[in-house]
Amino acid sequence: MENPEKLFHHFEKPTTRRGLLRAAGCGFGYLAMSAMMAEEARADEARAAAAGALLSPMAPKPPNFTPHAKRVIFLFMHGGPSSVDTFDPKPRLTLDNGKPCPIKLPLAFAKGEMGPLMKSPWEFKQYGQSGIPVSSLFPNVAQHVDDMCVIRSMVGEGVDHGAALLQTFTGTSTFIRPSMGSWVLYGLGTENQDLPGFVTIKPTLSHGGAKNWASAFLPGAYQGTAIGNAGMKVADIKGEPLEYLLNKHYSPDQQRFELDMLQNINKRHAEVRHHDPQLEARIQALELAFRMQSEAPESFNVDEESEATKKLYGLDEEVTRDFGWQCLLARRLAERGVRYLQCTHSYKWDQHGELFVKHTSNAKEVDKPIAGLLADLKARDMLKDTLVIWAGEFGRTPVSQGGDGRDHNPYGYSIWMAGGGVKPGTIYGATDEIGYHAQEDRMNLHDFHATVLALLGLEHTKLTYRYSGRDFRLTDVSGVVANKIIV
Amino acid sequence: MFHIPEPILKFTIRLAFRAQRTPALAMLAAAVALAQTTATPPNLQQTAAQTEYFEKNVRPVFVKNCQMCHNAKAKTSQLDLTSASGFQAGGAGGPVVSKDRPEESRILKAIGYEESLKMPPMGKLKAEEIASITEWVKMGAPWPGAESAAAAPPAKPVVSFTPEQKAFWAFQPVANPTPPPVKDTAWVRTPVDRFVLAKLEEKGLQPAPPADKATLLRRVTFDLTGLPPTPEQMQAFLDDKSPDAFRKVVERLMASPQYGERWGRHWLDVARYADSTGNDEDHRYPYAWRYRDYVIDAFNQDLPYNQFIREQLAGDLLPASGAAADPDMPNRRGIVATGFLALGAKALAQTDKKKMLYDVYDEQVDVTSRAFLGLTMACARCHNHKFDPILSKDYYALVSMFASTKDFARDDTGVAQLLYVPLVPKQEYAVYKAHQDRMDALRTAIEAIDNAQRVNWVRANGSHMSEYMLAARSVNVDGKTSTEVAATASLDEPVLKVWVKYLKEGSKAHPQLADWDNSAPDRLAATANAYQARFQARFDEWSKVLEKWQADVQAAVAANTKPPAKPHFEPGKDQFFYEVFLEGPFSFSEPDDDKPPPKVKPIELIRSADAKDQIAAIQKQLAEMKASGPPEPDMACAVAEGQSVDQKVFARGDYNNPTEDAPKAFPTLLARPTDPPVKTTSGRLELANWLAGPQNPLPARVMVNRIWAWHFGDGIVRTPDNFGKMGDRPSNPELLDFLARQFVDGGWSVKNIQRLILFSSTYQMASDTDDKDAEADPENRLMTRFNRQRLDVEEIRDGVLALDGSLDPAMGGTLQKGTGTDGENSAGRLSLDPLKLTRRTVYLPLRRANLPTLLNLFDFGDATTVNGKRTITNVAPQALFAMNSEFGFEHSRKLAEMLLAMPDATPARRVEAAYLRILNRYPTSDEVDTVLTYMQKYSTKYGKDNADLEAWQSLCHILLSSNEFLYLD
Repeated sequence: MENPEKLFHHFEKPTTRRGLLRAAGCGFGYLAMSAMMAEEARADEARAAAAGALLSPMAPKPPNFTPHAKRVIFLFMHGGPSSVDTFDPKPRLTLDNGKPCPIKLPLAFAKGEMGPLMKSPWEFKQYGQSGIPVSSLFPNVAQHVDDMCVIRSMVGEGVDHGAALLQTFTGTSTFIRPSMGSWVLYGLGTENQDLPGFVTIKPTLSHGGAKNWASAFLPGAYQGTAIGNAGMKVADIKGEPLEYLLNKHYSPDQQRFELDMLQNINKRHAEVRHHDPQLEARIQALELAFRMQSEAPESFNVDEESEATKKLYGLDEEVTRDFGWQCLLARRLAERGVRYLQCTHSYKWDQHGELFVKHTSNAKEVDKPIAGLLADLKARDMLKDTLVIWAGEFGRTPVSQGGDGRDHNPYGYSIWMAGGGVKPGTIYGATDEIGYHAQEDRMNLHDFHATVLALLGLEHTKLTYRYSGRDFRLTDVSGVVANKIIV
Repeated sequence: MFHIPEPILKFTIRLAFRAQRTPALAMLAAAVALAQTTATPPNLQQTAAQTEYFEKNVRPVFVKNCQMCHNAKAKTSQLDLTSASGFQAGGAGGPVVSKDRPEESRILKAIGYEESLKMPPMGKLKAEEIASITEWVKMGAPWPGAESAAAAPPAKPVVSFTPEQKAFWAFQPVANPTPPPVKDTAWVRTPVDRFVLAKLEEKGLQPAPPADKATLLRRVTFDLTGLPPTPEQMQAFLDDKSPDAFRKVVERLMASPQYGERWGRHWLDVARYADSTGNDEDHRYPYAWRYRDYVIDAFNQDLPYNQFIREQLAGDLLPASGAAADPDMPNRRGIVATGFLALGAKALAQTDKKKMLYDVYDEQVDVTSRAFLGLTMACARCHNHKFDPILSKDYYALVSMFASTKDFARDDTGVAQLLYVPLVPKQEYAVYKAHQDRMDALRTAIEAIDNAQRVNWVRANGSHMSEYMLAARSVNVDGKTSTEVAATASLDEPVLKVWVKYLKEGSKAHPQLADWDNSAPDRLAATANAYQARFQARFDEWSKVLEKWQADVQAAVAANTKPPAKPHFEPGKDQFFYEVFLEGPFSFSEPDDDKPPPKVKPIELIRSADAKDQIAAIQKQLAEMKASGPPEPDMACAVAEGQSVDQKVFARGDYNNPTEDAPKAFPTLLARPTDPPVKTTSGRLELANWLAGPQNPLPARVMVNRIWAWHFGDGIVRTPDNFGKMGDRPSNPELLDFLARQFVDGGWSVKNIQRLILFSSTYQMASDTDDKDAEADPENRLMTRFNRQRLDVEEIRDGVLALDGSLDPAMGGTLQKGTGTDGENSAGRLSLDPLKLTRRTVYLPLRRANLPTLLNLFDFGDATTVNGKRTITNVAPQALFAMNSEFGFEHSRKLAEMLLAMPDATPARRVEAAYLRILNRYPTSDEVDTVLTYMQKYSTKYGKDNADLEAWQSLCHILLSSNEFLYLD
């Protein structure tokens, strides 16, 4: 059992023994810990809801073992970029272009006829010392292959976008479960109490929408905070990135004056109520909120960055401005201790047709910003403990669809990770010779989740939460950590 | 066929007869019966060559890749691949090889990664390994030594419940406890108090003193209506010195329509109510609101809870109530009530439609079992329940019921179509439907006319295709403008522009343009002609199909029958033709395809005068029909009877692994021999009656516990949705049973149970007590005091709106418009902003995929699973809302204006009025002084245009943000 003193990390100690008892008995901190220690406590679930949280549920918590990564930046390519056109070259497709597919295709998304094998319209080149091949879609990202681990053997179950997104972000498409960011926050808390711990920038509202960053049965404090949504323009988000963050009526001084009176009234109210911990916690929450609103706006102000930095992320060009802003904002927030971040390029990559035209323009929008992010993190010595993940919800078929497109393929696709303890300059896993099925070192999404948690110092089988009578975890009943990709 | 000795067969038959009474025997009987029907083992005759082949090519693969899981000990999925007998017995899903059609054997599908079951899971076998096993299976899968292996089928494990499981408290009949004797009889107001006080006296504890009247009125008014008491109500209660003053208040509140809005909302949490499907495309449930209104009405009418259960599960099968009911009129109320089953989260776009359906059934088992039984039966989807006596077979028996129930209008379309049930007599609906169909037919007629215009245009201009291609080239390569080229060559400029774009994208984007791109400059004309010739040939063929369709449509419209759907050209057949004729240069945009601007020439511009006249005439007719037609009849998102199907148990929850039969039945542990058999199609009616029957101990216990928890903030069992082993134990089992018994004996009246609770001293205690008693009972399990509770999000929002009179009291109806889903990332995907509306929160449409952030902020839950008890968090973003939201400023301003509008009042009187309205009590004189001093300083320091009003606004802002407002004592 952890020293109870440590539990009161961010808040004043309760003044009475009763307060302490209640804190230990019903406080949320105790719960999280007991659940994490897999302590047998039948009424955890009941206690979770009991009394208000005395402790900030966001206070940093120790991992299970020494972590490589302290934070995550997930770059999500919504729609499903094609692996055989980006990070998984397949010479066989060039040789057999136009020939019928040699294997029986599993359940595919589109009904109707599938076309023949289709070669990639892009050329692949080897880059860096590692010689990892990257297609001409990503000339800038390719400069960083020696920091990247390309995983070519991802396997999902969702054939349609909704199922695939939900499985990528919550582990299942069948049930409503907490998102990966919520689990990470639950497990580790966050380093900056003045900022939300899990931020998703311009997320998509479709394909599960907020379920992809929600906390489901975990306490609401662990849900992701959305900065705008994919349908919004950056200019409209900048004004007020977080809801209710800005006070549009008072000067700071005036607000403090009013808050002092409110706290005065609150303290008197709590005094005659035996300093009920939930009342004390709210008094603290008001103080925290006051600090947040003075510090957070600066964190979101990307305009403060130097011209050189903005250029690095492509903020000086129309085509890269949106995703560049997302990446740069992610870096600012990561720097300030936000635990888990996501940038979304939505909803672009779903090329059932017009593969060449659209994949070209999509890649243009993200290539430079992503390369900028990697370069910047490295320059700031943050890449070593920041795990950058690049992934779509699935890949695309090696056969053509409608002549110039590719269908969904969750059976074998590529993603990459960089920094945060992944083995740099490596390729993990392989698909079959046409790039349809993952064959070597298959990494299903449970394995992926287990591996990300492991990089963060969390043992995925121990990160559990008791709900509806059983212990739930992100990886359900499976998940194997891919130790080969960890340094 | 396995040989089963006759005595065993006879025994099996006897077992089957007794099975109805003894579940374990039923299982055994089923297991033996199953063994008889299991497919025969593979060919056992084998040659030495086959043996050698097996030992060389097959066994090593098994040893290396399969046997770590599929061995005699681990037997993952009950499959043992280490021995002939194990192999022949097959796995949980039956035999792994098929004698009749070896190429379709399950083992080959698994190693071929063809279906959801992919083996080995860590990576596909090498191609030659797969080839070897395939070859071997085709030989008949000869396994050396198989001849001698015992042919007896492996015995299926027989599951029976342990005595501990059967004796578990929740499954025992509801007792009839006598309220215990207590010392302090003066404290006892209702029998509830005896049960509570007896426990306290046993521990030497004192109940807290009674709450003061103001606190009590605030408590009970929020509790029963979700709204604060008005100053007038407060004054009246304080002035009423009669002994039954509180009783009168309770009756007034329970009789108000706001009672149903508050208590109905509690039930909607359990029913995981929302207005859209959530998963993937988040389609609207356009008539979900009728179920919500039904629930609110049910609470207001105090509908007996057993009837409430019946209606929600099988209301469509119950007779319409009321003697004067029109015999043709469906049971509207009952149909609407089945929204309980219909409104779960669904993945309509799920590609695997079978999985989609089983997920829907699963969701229905989950909501039904947790809402009414407090049992997590959905845990038994993949295996028998790990903790509770619930068999996988029990789960699939309920699945059999829901699979025999209709949830969709179509479940075989790419996006499944939700079922909408008309709430009018069949005849009336038929008239409406016929009218709609006719309008659809007319719209198709317009489509057919336009189609003829396209065909005519290409017929007239197709012979210029090569000219278009060459002209486009001179734009793309020679840098001329489309305008000048079109003029010179007498080509249609808008059409040429599309050719320019299409050919510019070239063969990288459109592989079929490779010949054109690679053509030598001097061969261009010839190449263009070749493209044109191929196009013409295809066009001649396809235009005939289209013309036939057009004629069929005309005939159908004339005959007033349903016109056929437009034929679909498969792009793979001829990509060039498809792109040119159906998408690109020679296609023309649909009439309403104006947003974004059409990439091709609009169809309107090529219509002949005759076609224009025809279309105008049809459109006129459509407009008239729209104006004169019957309005859409009332509809409900509900379920209906489907085809009766009985399910099998799916090993590991995978529908590819069906095992034993699971016909419709009630859960084994709770079923009684006297339960009537399932006779209706789905069995929902029997299920509803069984649940609502007096013999079933759980529904009454679960519901009275819910009622208790919603009053006190915590239940007698603190896990209201889980009464199983992993749930909480009752803190006062006698009290729970007393209430359950009262509930059933009193005709399942919710309000009567509430009277027992509200009139008790227990409910009327203060929320603070002596430190000593509190320490002895830190979690307040014994009820030494009332639990202080934070207001729910509905109470916060509705409460603030009510304080200054902004709340719109209108009941029912819907604020959601339209059907289907919305554009990607469009505002339509968002729920309406609660802060911009003034209806009560319960009436705001809930888009599951994007609930309003305010609701998320204050712990509303996710509206996808049963939520009998909301988690409460206390975080900084909530405080930001209090400090900074426009909502807070707007309403504190309005309150300040109300205070200043009081005629002839002193500042002290106004402060009193502020406290009375917002905090529902009078301030002390000390408080009045402090507040007035504050306002004075505030207006001096920060006053702007109207310093006085601003100071009062600040006071109201403070009071609205205070803990005293946010928490209920």
